[in-house]
Amino acid sequence: MANNSASSLSWRLALKIAAREMRSSKGKFFFVVLSVAIGVAALTGVRGFSATFRSALLAQARSIMAADLSTRMFAQPTDKEQAGLDAIAREGVTITPVTELLSMASAAKTMEPLLVSLKAVDPRQYPFYGTIDLQPAGQLKDALTPQTVVVADDLLARLKLNVGDELKIGTQTFRIAAVVTNEPDRLSGSFASGPRVFLTQEGLKQSGLIGPGSHAGQRFLFKVPPPRQGAPLSEAWVAQLKAQLEDLLPEAQVSDYRETSPALSQGLDRATSVLSLMSLVALVLGAVGVAMAMRAHLQQRMDTIAIMKSLGAGSGAILRIYVLQTLLLGVLGGVIGVALGVAVQGVFPVFLERLLHVQTSFQFHLSAIAVGLGAGVLTTLLFTLPPLLDIRGIRPILILRRAVEDQEDASFGAGILRRLKKNRAQIAAAVLILVGLAVLATLLSDSLRVGQVFSLGLVVVLIVLMGASTLLLSLLRRLLERTRLSLPSSLRHGLANLYRPGNPTAPLLAALGLGVMQIMTVYLVQQAVVQELHVSTGPSLPNVFLVDMTDDEVGGVKKLLELQPQVKAEVELLPVISSRILSVDGMDAESLKLKNFPRRLLRSVSLTWRDTVPPGTTVTAGQWWKADETRPEVAVSERQAERLGVKLGSQIAFAAQDREFTATVTALTKSDGQHAFSRADFVFPHAALRGMPLVWYGGVHVDPAQVDKVQRVLYAAYPSVSTINVAQALEAVRLVVMQITYVIQFLAAFSIFAGAVILASSIAGTRYRRIREVVVLKTLGATRGRIATIFSIEFAVLGLVAGLVGAVFANAVTAAVLHQLTIEYRVEWLWAVVALAGSAALTVATGWLASFRVLGQKPLEVLREE
Amino acid sequence: MIEVKGLRRSIRNGARTTEILKGIEFAVPAGQFVAIMGSSGSGKSTLLGLLAGLDTPTAGDVIVDGVAISYLPEDQLAQVRGRKIGFVFQSYQLIPTLTALENVLLPHELNGGAGDGMERARDLLKNVGLDGRMDHYPVQLSGGEQQRVALARAFMLRPPIVLADEPTGNLDTTNGAHVLELLLHLNRVERTTLVLVTHDPVLATYADRRITLRDGVMLSDELNPAPASL
Repeated sequence: MANNSASSLSWRLALKIAAREMRSSKGKFFFVVLSVAIGVAALTGVRGFSATFRSALLAQARSIMAADLSTRMFAQPTDKEQAGLDAIAREGVTITPVTELLSMASAAKTMEPLLVSLKAVDPRQYPFYGTIDLQPAGQLKDALTPQTVVVADDLLARLKLNVGDELKIGTQTFRIAAVVTNEPDRLSGSFASGPRVFLTQEGLKQSGLIGPGSHAGQRFLFKVPPPRQGAPLSEAWVAQLKAQLEDLLPEAQVSDYRETSPALSQGLDRATSVLSLMSLVALVLGAVGVAMAMRAHLQQRMDTIAIMKSLGAGSGAILRIYVLQTLLLGVLGGVIGVALGVAVQGVFPVFLERLLHVQTSFQFHLSAIAVGLGAGVLTTLLFTLPPLLDIRGIRPILILRRAVEDQEDASFGAGILRRLKKNRAQIAAAVLILVGLAVLATLLSDSLRVGQVFSLGLVVVLIVLMGASTLLLSLLRRLLERTRLSLPSSLRHGLANLYRPGNPTAPLLAALGLGVMQIMTVYLVQQAVVQELHVSTGPSLPNVFLVDMTDDEVGGVKKLLELQPQVKAEVELLPVISSRILSVDGMDAESLKLKNFPRRLLRSVSLTWRDTVPPGTTVTAGQWWKADETRPEVAVSERQAERLGVKLGSQIAFAAQDREFTATVTALTKSDGQHAFSRADFVFPHAALRGMPLVWYGGVHVDPAQVDKVQRVLYAAYPSVSTINVAQALEAVRLVVMQITYVIQFLAAFSIFAGAVILASSIAGTRYRRIREVVVLKTLGATRGRIATIFSIEFAVLGLVAGLVGAVFANAVTAAVLHQLTIEYRVEWLWAVVALAGSAALTVATGWLASFRVLGQKPLEVLREE
Repeated sequence: MIEVKGLRRSIRNGARTTEILKGIEFAVPAGQFVAIMGSSGSGKSTLLGLLAGLDTPTAGDVIVDGVAISYLPEDQLAQVRGRKIGFVFQSYQLIPTLTALENVLLPHELNGGAGDGMERARDLLKNVGLDGRMDHYPVQLSGGEQQRVALARAFMLRPPIVLADEPTGNLDTTNGAHVLELLLHLNRVERTTLVLVTHDPVLATYADRRITLRDGVMLSDELNPAPASL
């Protein structure tokens, strides 16, 4: 019979009932729609925005290399290699050569000579990313012709020349067209001494400096074609091209933009994972909110449903009404969410641009909107499945015996267990949610692994949080039962309210705890990561490097620099001994199997000494020697070790001038790329290198705005010491870090909001019960102040429990994440207290917002409804 | 002593105004047992609510022991209710999160009664036959038991007036008789004023006085010279 009735309820009628019911309880559905909207807004906004933002960030990373990829070699490519490069160019990759070499240049007027660092480029192509800034302002492709050069400021100072004067290089005379004030790939080029001189490839050829046996370094810069319609740049393509080039040019060092600055690329990678996971969590938080609101809603409709059933409607017919209602809510929330998301996407870049002077273009992706809307409706349906399926269990007897409802709700956990036992459909629904979540996460993160880990992880986290909340609640209840009558009555009553029938306290706490946990995890990880990034771009790091100081000069230079007020930190000094590698583990240098390491470089390696681990360097394998070590031991940078095929315990034979010696590799190191010692690939104990001829390199942190002043003072006293200013490049890194911080904070705000909405909708769901309680209390003589105290205690305890659970798990997750990122973890007690107080304040505020007008109800109005 | 003067109450439902009480006037001397009768929709529950200060009349006043309560500020009204009036509802209205004992103790705690009130609360529960159920939650009690807890709660502060809205309406005969017995004991032994809304004519035979309402006006007000006893 039920089936007949079910089929008699048409979709049309079901829709009518669904819409009418929604219209009659707008206030309640406001929160449901808001829950969906926030999830979808986070997803659309974050997805669209982070794609845009990521490409902006990556463009900055690329500008440090001026390309997507670069190869560095010490000979012109062979015919076969050139053919390979041509083939790559035919695939759409743009290639431009950059030739670098040291040479003497002289002022055409005075013939005064100076060692300069030449860089020949094709100004129509170079740089692919970033800009060359010129003084007077102009474009490199306009200023640089085969007859002109652009030069660094200190060349003009040293040769007493001006823009427009002539400079002789090799056999050719060039006109100085401009001063170069910013060179994007200054950090990734060769670290040569002498002021920079740019010229064209043709100009270099005409100068006659390039001949057989020339020591010119040859780099090729590569740019993969821009993606279509604002899609994120294909990192897979870059990786594939890198592998292809390593294969093609075995003698060349190939690096891609992510290696330009380890701090930057690590920051980006971390930010990217954090961003994608956060938008997913925001979505699920929204869906959990919908499910909880729908559950509360259906509980209130139980009477109606029971009446309909007693009139002969089947579960299927009633399900039809509420599935339609869920769909309507999902679509409505989705549409509002998409609008919000697009608005956020549009507004935030403007804000960022004003704040950080970063240009991010606004892109309106139909696909992002479709994804947001689809994911919103799908998650809404998925998460409301269990409460919807409950409809089947509602018995018509309810209209006669309301108490059944209260008993069913006595314990949520027990309820679930009982339901799982009784109801296979619920198990199927749970599996469906898990699978649906995995599919969504996979689609959204473009990674099956992320999808699996995320959905399983989230379900596990929710179950664990729910378990922890249930445990805490039952402990509290036991405590309450023991001490009940000795507690102040408001506190006792407030605590007892946590166990109000129909209060979805455990799932509510799990959702809230998830919110707290996410916000706090993000905050803690962000603090640690930013702090680390801060250290690596911090104010004590060298931003000006000094090259070619002699033993006699080094003491004076150090003293002079320390006297300058613009110098902000200790001067880092690096002694360098030129050497060559004769053999590794007895194998002759000529027959060594090298991996992307130009064999020629074996004849010019730089050695240095240091008795303790240098700043910015970490030992990744083996051990650093003791300060009084005299045996020849050597610490080799990981990267160099891999290229040379060197392991711990390997024996490397070096020759420096007329001395030959063999050292044992006792440590492998990794450097942050930002200290003077980052340039040292082979570090020895001091005793091992004593007495060898050396030059000094140095690094110092100077107020970025006043680098030129220091350069001038230094040049006046020590004209032969060259300086290289990387302050601008480091500033770019710092800027990126700042941007990442802002985006993460922005995303955390979404979660706070989603958590509050879930709480609000849950509290609004128990509004009717609360009103009844208020009325009874008022009838018994309670003042408003008293009732307010009781409810505030209830809300605050909810917040405290959620805060406690969230904070504990946030610390656990943070510890795990930081361990993976090899960053030190510390318990931040202050923040744990702030999280507790903050979540209590939030729950009290939200609780009262959602209990709007509950206190002001006239008792009789409510009692009449009995 | 309760005085009701020119009491009117109307409610607006959209553009329509419905008059529920159309000028009610009577006085209840202390210690009297009044049954208010009438069919569904006659306005008897509204009247009882106005007597308890649960609602504000559209016009007129309710005076309890010389204090006009109808237009008092909300919190003052709560105090009057707490001190002077005990209320018994048809559907018990116990606080579900508190035990039977705590529910009975509640008026004492809300109104700051003397001592800790625990002894009286326990005694009351014993008197209504719930000796062994003090630590049970409402959901663990039967309807009759819940109503007896509600009665104990209403008696907790020894209010001079007890108002009851269909107190036996949801109970079977045995439980109904038990509840009635408790109410009668209160009225006849402790001289508490009792105003009881019912549409059970049998119940009304126990009252000293019977007021009948129809469509918001008093149809009759008769004294019962020989109230029945249990």
